Amino acid sequence: MFALPRRAPRSILTTSTRFYSTPPPSTSKPSLKLVAELRKLTEVSISKAREALSASNNDVQEALKWLQNDLAVSGAKKAAKVEGRSANEGLVGVSVLSRGIGAGVGTGSNGKGEPSAGRGYGGVRAAMVELNCETDFVARNELFGKLLADISHTAAFISEPVNSPEFFNPLSLEALQDAPLLSHNGGTPQPEATVSSAIRDLIAKVGEKISLRRAVAVVQNQLSREQRDTLGLRLATYSHGSIGISTQGRISNLAVLALKSPRLSDLLLKDAFKEDLATLERALARQIVGFPTTAIRSPAGTTDEGALYEQPFMMFSEANGETVQAALRAWAVKRGLAKQESEESGVEVLEFAKWTVGESI
Amino acid sequence: MMKVDTNYEWPLAVEVGVLWLGIWPMFWRSVEVEITMGVYRDVNWDAGQWSGDMAEPVTEERFVWLKALVIGESSLFRQKFSAAKGHPSKTTTMLRTQLATSRVAARRLYSTRVSQSFFVCAKTALRHPIQPVRSSVLPRYGVSMVARRGYAEASSSKFDRTKPHMNIGTIGHVDHGKTTLTAAITKVLAERGGAKFTDYSEIDKAPEEKARGITINSAHVEYETDNRHYGHIDCPGHADYIKNMITGAAQMDGAIIVVSATDGQMPQTREHLLLARQVGIKKLVVFINKVDQISDPEMLELVDMEMRDLLSTYNFDGENTPIVMGSALAALEGKNPEIGGDKIVELVQACDEWLELPPRDLDKPFLLAIEDVFSISGRGTVATGRAERGVCHKGDEVEIVGLGSQFKTTLTGIEMFHKELDRGEAGDNMGALLRGVKREQIKRGQVIIAPGSMKPVKKFQAQIYVLTKDEGGRYTPFMDNYRPQLFLRTADITVGLHWPEGTADAADKMVMPGDNVEMVCELVHDVAADVGTRFTLREGGKTVGTGIVTKVLELA
Repeated sequence: MFALPRRAPRSILTTSTRFYSTPPPSTSKPSLKLVAELRKLTEVSISKAREALSASNNDVQEALKWLQNDLAVSGAKKAAKVEGRSANEGLVGVSVLSRGIGAGVGTGSNGKGEPSAGRGYGGVRAAMVELNCETDFVARNELFGKLLADISHTAAFISEPVNSPEFFNPLSLEALQDAPLLSHNGGTPQPEATVSSAIRDLIAKVGEKISLRRAVAVVQNQLSREQRDTLGLRLATYSHGSIGISTQGRISNLAVLALKSPRLSDLLLKDAFKEDLATLERALARQIVGFPTTAIRSPAGTTDEGALYEQPFMMFSEANGETVQAALRAWAVKRGLAKQESEESGVEVLEFAKWTVGESI
Repeated sequence: MMKVDTNYEWPLAVEVGVLWLGIWPMFWRSVEVEITMGVYRDVNWDAGQWSGDMAEPVTEERFVWLKALVIGESSLFRQKFSAAKGHPSKTTTMLRTQLATSRVAARRLYSTRVSQSFFVCAKTALRHPIQPVRSSVLPRYGVSMVARRGYAEASSSKFDRTKPHMNIGTIGHVDHGKTTLTAAITKVLAERGGAKFTDYSEIDKAPEEKARGITINSAHVEYETDNRHYGHIDCPGHADYIKNMITGAAQMDGAIIVVSATDGQMPQTREHLLLARQVGIKKLVVFINKVDQISDPEMLELVDMEMRDLLSTYNFDGENTPIVMGSALAALEGKNPEIGGDKIVELVQACDEWLELPPRDLDKPFLLAIEDVFSISGRGTVATGRAERGVCHKGDEVEIVGLGSQFKTTLTGIEMFHKELDRGEAGDNMGALLRGVKREQIKRGQVIIAPGSMKPVKKFQAQIYVLTKDEGGRYTPFMDNYRPQLFLRTADITVGLHWPEGTADAADKMVMPGDNVEMVCELVHDVAADVGTRFTLREGGKTVGTGIVTKVLELA
């Protein structure tokens, strides 16, 4: 057991896991156990943990505070160091706060953070964010996923309706970076943490460049009482290549759908209709992601394989090889939205956004 | 269709003349006509052969290969092959197994007696009634060889097969000095004559190469220690590596995890270990780099301790894994040998001792994939194909497995290059004479194996890479129950692809070109397969994916 002094470190190494729970010897210099503990708590580098403990006289709580203060400085230093590198890996995350008319049927992550404005009456509120890093090892890590979820939640939350003909409006990255970071799962956010400080903290932890590449939001307040009985907006979303969180992936999309029917308010009371609608939305979102979709319709007089409405609707089992457009019409008739196929009522894809990680923009 | 450079000092007219002496049967005339015309259609004699229409250009070497295989043994081949071996333009990444087997084959061909003249061949040909049939099969041998990229060794220097070979990779954080370590290893070993020094810059500009139509990214470095020869790759990312592993472009039998002493393990170190687990690496060596930047030795203990903890968490042997602490930079710059050069030596020694060699092909149980079957009157049934691994002897008991049958028989004869042999080994293209077997009993796609060494498999789980449109694959996604053709060795079977049990939203989930996925393959017919067997998926004449068996789920 008590080996020669020269062998001592070795015996510590091999049996260290067992000594883990014994109290550390009180020494003036930071003990291994405390450094290890601090690293477990914060995932900071060894030298940093050691520095923090030295500065705070081996008090873990003090050291945590010290680290908090230091992160701003050292994180910034680290961030400056990796600034010049290229970050082409990462994930695209989507956060849907309000799915639109009849909200609550969706399969997405809406629920807790949903503002009251969207409940049931057709407001839509969502955001999509691309966060980059250098290797997919980092992109697969849960810290990265959590940060992206928080940022996309924040982006969806802070966006304001914009007076614009387009549903999708790019968010200013500066504004987003200065925004206080909200927690996507309703946990209490760290006070004073902003999006940019959270990114910086992660840079300090994983030592890779992490950058916010782009963000887009779709925010449409509820329609007027008269309108919303016959017209409703819905959001469809899908992320492909998810690792941990299903709303993040290498390719993600957000699409705005419109439902128009004199019977809409009645239909939305039926659960069966809502389920069918959710299935259709999933299929549409998958179709947009899976196929090289670039537009909804081809420009007049041409056929483009990137036009959604002309693609065979392969992601929808009811379609039987029909095009998306034909399948949507048939769906609307079958579900009672429209009486005949020629009618003005039905379901339409109004606009969509589809992003792939690392693609050129 | 490729034009062959007919600029040989090998006069084709003479060759054709020789053929006309009657040594070669009818078949060869047509091939020779093609060759004389200077046009040689790319390998596609047998559309069923997966590699058949991968459309690789016909290079001089392949041409020589083909010639050599046609003629059997000849001094011409010997000259040609030794010339081709040093061909500078062929620095192509090779699939490991194929590299090994083609080398075996090459060596065998290479070492055959030169003095054997065509005339002798002719005489034996006349004596053996089997000969005409055999030779009509021979082109297929040639095909499978060349189509499988039987190129010469990448480096121009002599490759010594006496040391066992192992593929090793470095995994680690971008800043922790993987490339520096690789450069340092080559430098230190170069001083002992075991490597060619590869500088940082050469490693860092990882060439993008194309193998089997699939683009791969990896830097390849090789070096040797006293006991082993190592192929060294860098592992740039999770998806990249998985893809390389599935396609066989890069393989790691063991790995060095590089961790900086200043940072210790990082959040993504977990992901590194998960990758190693996923690709089946059982043992790792840890190199703790940049120790010169740490003043307190206790902190090194902490790095060590944490690494062992983490290794154990991910089911590696944390207690016994060798952890070497040093400075790759010091080794590269030739400073402080006690943390530099000496530590590199210690590291490669640890690799030699701790990392286990994968079994060599020759040591594995015998396996021959049947490519064709012939019935020769007076002799019996002959199955031809290339021995993939192991050794067989005349008189051995063998088992025939796959496509609904499984039975034992005896190997009554082995023939190669018009000669009877007592022994065949991995890499040989041979004809196997089987006792008491009717022609109808065996068919292409089955395998001849050492009894009991493999089982017919009906359902297995596999890691699949789906080719992108640019790589010649699909451009649309597919869903559960996609049914392409599965090509495994010589077998061609319809397969249904399903999500593994317990996958959420399995009916909705899709696979897009470029994805790495784990799927369950349900075969229409059973086939002999093992964990680690590679296959390709094809649909409508194009390769849509490639995969590797990870788990056998159901035997036939």
